[in-house]
Parts: sequence; C-alpha cells; structure tokens
Amino acid sequence: MSGHILKTYDEDLRQLKDSVLEMGANVIKGMESAVKGLMEGDRELCADVIDDDEVIDAAEKKIDEQGMSILLRYNPVASDLRLVLSSINVCRSIERIGDHAVNIAKRSRKIIKAGSCEEVRLIEPLFVEARQIVKSALESYADVDEQTAMKVVELDRKVDDLHKILSKGLSSKIAEEGGDDTESLLNILFISRSLERIGDLAVNIAEDVVFITSAEDIRHS
Amino acid sequence: MTDTLDSPILDFQDAQAPADGTIIKIDDLSFSYDMGKTNTLRNISLDIPAGKVTAFIGPSGCGKSTLLRCLNRMNDLVDTAKVTTGQIDILGQNIYAPDVEAIELRKHVGMVFQKYNPFPKSIYENVAYGLRVQGIKKKSVLDQAVEESLRKSALWSEVKDRLNTSALGLSGGQQQRLCIARTIAVKPQIVLMDEPCSALDPIATARIEELIAELRQEFTIVIVTHNMQQATRVSDRTAFFYLGELIEYDNTTKVFGNPSKKQTEDYVSGRFG
Repeated sequence: MSGHILKTYDEDLRQLKDSVLEMGANVIKGMESAVKGLMEGDRELCADVIDDDEVIDAAEKKIDEQGMSILLRYNPVASDLRLVLSSINVCRSIERIGDHAVNIAKRSRKIIKAGSCEEVRLIEPLFVEARQIVKSALESYADVDEQTAMKVVELDRKVDDLHKILSKGLSSKIAEEGGDDTESLLNILFISRSLERIGDLAVNIAEDVVFITSAEDIRHS
Repeated sequence: MTDTLDSPILDFQDAQAPADGTIIKIDDLSFSYDMGKTNTLRNISLDIPAGKVTAFIGPSGCGKSTLLRCLNRMNDLVDTAKVTTGQIDILGQNIYAPDVEAIELRKHVGMVFQKYNPFPKSIYENVAYGLRVQGIKKKSVLDQAVEESLRKSALWSEVKDRLNTSALGLSGGQQQRLCIARTIAVKPQIVLMDEPCSALDPIATARIEELIAELRQEFTIVIVTHNMQQATRVSDRTAFFYLGELIEYDNTTKVFGNPSKKQTEDYVSGRFG
C-alpha cells in the first residue's frame, strides 16, 4: 500500500508498530530467561525476569500513548484504524505474556530453592512450542500476514495437547507418589499452565492480525 | 437548458417512495457541461434510500457536486449542460422527462449551499419566501410555517424576539441554519446540502451536524462534503467518486471501516495522489 500524503502519519504508525515488536522481543527474552533459569538452576536469571517486568509495563504505557496520539492527530480510518486498535490489543496480550513469564520465573525460583527436581526437563518441549507460537504471532503482526496468523491458531492445538499430557502425568505422579517433591511438581504444573496460557495469548495476537488484514473479527469463533 | 414554465407539472407531493425504500434512483447517468463533448459524470448508477443521510465524497473535480446539482436540475442553469445517458427517478418520476418542470421539482428537492445566502430581508421574510412564491398569503399560515421551520432548524429560541430584523445580522452559523429553515419551510421530501459547513467554525459545524441528525427523521438528505469525519458522523450511506465515476457506494461504516476498493481505501485514509 502506498504511503500517506502526510509523512508524519506514516512515521508515527511505523513507530507504533516498532514499539509493539520491541516489546514482543523483550517478552520472548523474558520467557527464555525464566525457563533457562529453571533448567540451569540460576535464580539470578529468574530475578532479572521479575525485575524487567517494569520495562514491559512501561512499554505498554508508551504504546497506549502512541496509539492515542495517532487517533487524536490523524483520525485514522479503514486499515489504519484497525492497525492502531489492534496494536493496542496486541500490546495488551504481550503484557500478559510478560506476566506469565514473571510467574514462570517466580515458580522457577521456588523449584530451584527446594532442590533438584528432574521433572523440570518435561517443561522444555512445551516451552519450545510456546516460544515458537509467540514468535509466529509476532511475525504475523510484523508482516501483517494473515496466513501466518492462521497457522498460529493451529499451532496452539499442539501447545494445548502438550500441556494436557504434561499436567496429566504430573498430577498422577503427585497423587501416586507425593513426598518432598510435591510442591516442586505443583510449581511445574503451574509453569505448564502459564505456557498453555501464553499459547492462548499468541492466538489473541493472531486474531488481531486477521482483523487488521480482513476486518473480520474471528474471536470466539 | 431553461426551466419549461409552460410545461405540465408532475405532482410529486403525493408520490411515495417505491416499496424498496429508494427515493432517488440514478440509472447509468452520464452528464456533460459541454453539450456532450466530454462527460463530467460517467455511467453513474446508485439508489438513495428514503429517510437516510447519504454523503457524496471524493477529491475536487470528481463530480460529486455536479451529481448533487443533477438531483434538482440546478445544472439546467448552465446552457451547455446536458444529461448524455441514463436518467434520474425521484419518487418514481423521471425528473428529466420533458413534462417535468424544474421549478416544481425544486419544491420537493430543496438545496442548501456551501456559502450561506440569506436574502437581504428580515429573518421572517427569508423563511416565508418560498411559501409566498407558492401563493400563500394568509398570515396565520405563514406565522405557523415560519415558527415550525425555525424550530426544526434549531434557530427559533435564538431569533424569536427579532424575527423582523435583517437576516444579514445573524452569525454565519445562524445564517446557514436560516437557509436550512428557508429550504424546509416548503416541506421538500429531499434536502440537498453542498458542503454546508465549509464556511463555518467548529461550533457552528457541530450545530449543523446535530441539525442534520434531527432533520433525517423527516427528510431524505444528500450531502456533499470534503470533511470525511463529518461524512462518518452524519451519514448512513456514503458514495465515493473519482474522475466522474462512482467507485464505491455502501454503508458509511463499511466505506470508512473496510472499503471494498483500493481507491476508496487510499482516499479515505489520506494516501491519495
């Protein structure tokens, strides 16, 4: 699509999108650090994720301001309006993904503090899929690509399946064995739940991308 | 073209909008200002619904005002103007049929112009003018019509104590509302508005927009505007024109939310040119 006659309008839209993508990249980094901290028993790495949540929250406020400024100054319509509204929604989903990264980091610290628990390795395949789905969702937003966005919806089924398998296994182990590892196993279960929710939030991002491209609201469908 | 004063007058007053709710049917209309050498409008077809506000938008020179003026044959005043193809039916009548008198048509299709143009007469006489032309002389009838029109134009409370003072003493926004009162005093079915707010400040513009929302209860309104936010606020349907052609015509929320044509999207989002 050709640029606007008003070049500052193009520039402000570009900056809004860049801010969302930068926030998204920081949240993926947070997810990675939280799980790396868990796998490597590195509590400081987990603490960094918790501290960096302030950066994510500040980014959310900045994006809201950018979006409001564009609405005020340019009165966007059609695909521009959908981009601005969706960017604000996407930013909201990213912020919630950030909150789940913090939850993972907090539970990881508790698991590390409690001592070694070999079941933490079970998280890795689910984490790999959850990270991929967030990356794909953000790629679909960056490229405004409906096809990639629709794939995210499909990818989420895999995340859901992995979470179900993992939570079933962990629940059985807790019920059957109990013992000292119970608290850690419960924390792993909650981490699994966070990763599953991250998948859902990635789907929300993909749905916003579909709204940008086709003006179709596919939520709850 | 000139008004055919001696020709028979078709009775629009009792005419009803067709069952599908279309009050104005434009069918394959082409229009030329130079006796058909070049067409300013090309093959325009659109149905305008009764009791709704329809906005015509598009860049300067796209033909939107020309089409508006076709709807009450204002272009007849241009000697070399000519409808080259197609026709316009209003309330089921072909308004360019040889037996239709333009002056009679304009009683039913009123017009408000870009620059407010009250007559250099009193406020009262401005509103009563059209009725007097129709031969109404009874003071009680005129008084009632003047008050009713000024109330509908949201001007009554501001002018009721100075009806006999000059209309030219009113503010710009008041003068434009007075022109609307003058237009609706003769009870047209359709009111055409050609950029009615372009000479007004934001407050006066808001008052006119509020008035349009009120008037839509009783009249079919067709408005030409360069202000796209205004089109989104006041209209139910929007037609986008470019270089004399109708590019897109749909519900206003669709045209500004998710237009079907790229040209429309480029224009409404400020990418044109």
